[in-house]
Amino acid sequence: MTIAEHHIEPLTIFASTQNLQLVRSYVERHINTLDFTEFEQNGIVLAVDEAVSNLIRHAYRGDASKSISIRLRIDDESVHVHITDTADAFDPATAELPDMRRYFMDHRRGGLGILLMTRVMDNLIYEPAQGGNGANTLTLTKRRNR
Amino acid sequence: MNKNFAVTSEPHSNGCNVVRLEGYLDAHTATNLEETIHTVIAQGCNRIVVDFEELEYISSAGLGVFMVFIEGVRASGGDLKLAAMKPKVFTVFDLLGFPVLFEIHPSVETALGNFHQGE
Repeated sequence: MTIAEHHIEPLTIFASTQNLQLVRSYVERHINTLDFTEFEQNGIVLAVDEAVSNLIRHAYRGDASKSISIRLRIDDESVHVHITDTADAFDPATAELPDMRRYFMDHRRGGLGILLMTRVMDNLIYEPAQGGNGANTLTLTKRRNR
Repeated sequence: MNKNFAVTSEPHSNGCNVVRLEGYLDAHTATNLEETIHTVIAQGCNRIVVDFEELEYISSAGLGVFMVFIEGVRASGGDLKLAAMKPKVFTVFDLLGFPVLFEIHPSVETALGNFHQGE
């Protein structure tokens, strides 16, 4: 049996930043026995935190009655984290990334979550809600060291 | 009050203030830190050392707090120096190039000493 055959229960949370610790624990619990370095493992946890934080603060604007689902899928090649929401569609995979030199010169704040995701993950794929399917899904992928 | 994060501030010699962090600094707890630094500055201190020794985790929301204050404290002749980060916390700063803008010291003592040398 390959690892891909293990079923991992998704985690569904209300869209409150209070639940970020739950999200991090869920991700960490399922990846900490895999063949990632500590740097890679911390990066995956951070990327999911950033994606969920963005949904809570920007997509749902703090409306804690909304929900977000996080589902891990692990196969022989990669770990995939599927993050599902029902807010207005926003594709982080095609968002303009900040130029950090300008960012520091302008003393900006915020807007760094997507850049962090791209720095620590191998791939971001966004699928907006379509037709009867009212959910957007962001999939973060990290290749395994095998 | 959040059980996953704690922040305290303590006046030090020569007008410095040490802000100590503990736990997990994320989009939920960043507000606590922002309020604490705001209070320190409002009380007239613009020479701040942030002690990261007991901080286990930081996300971009935490980084954003330091961006809020750095320009103001430097404009008034002070600084906001960061110290004693665990490697996993430093990595997040480093991934985005923050060491270009912020002084990051190996210990609180060296950060405080650096303030004293700059007088």
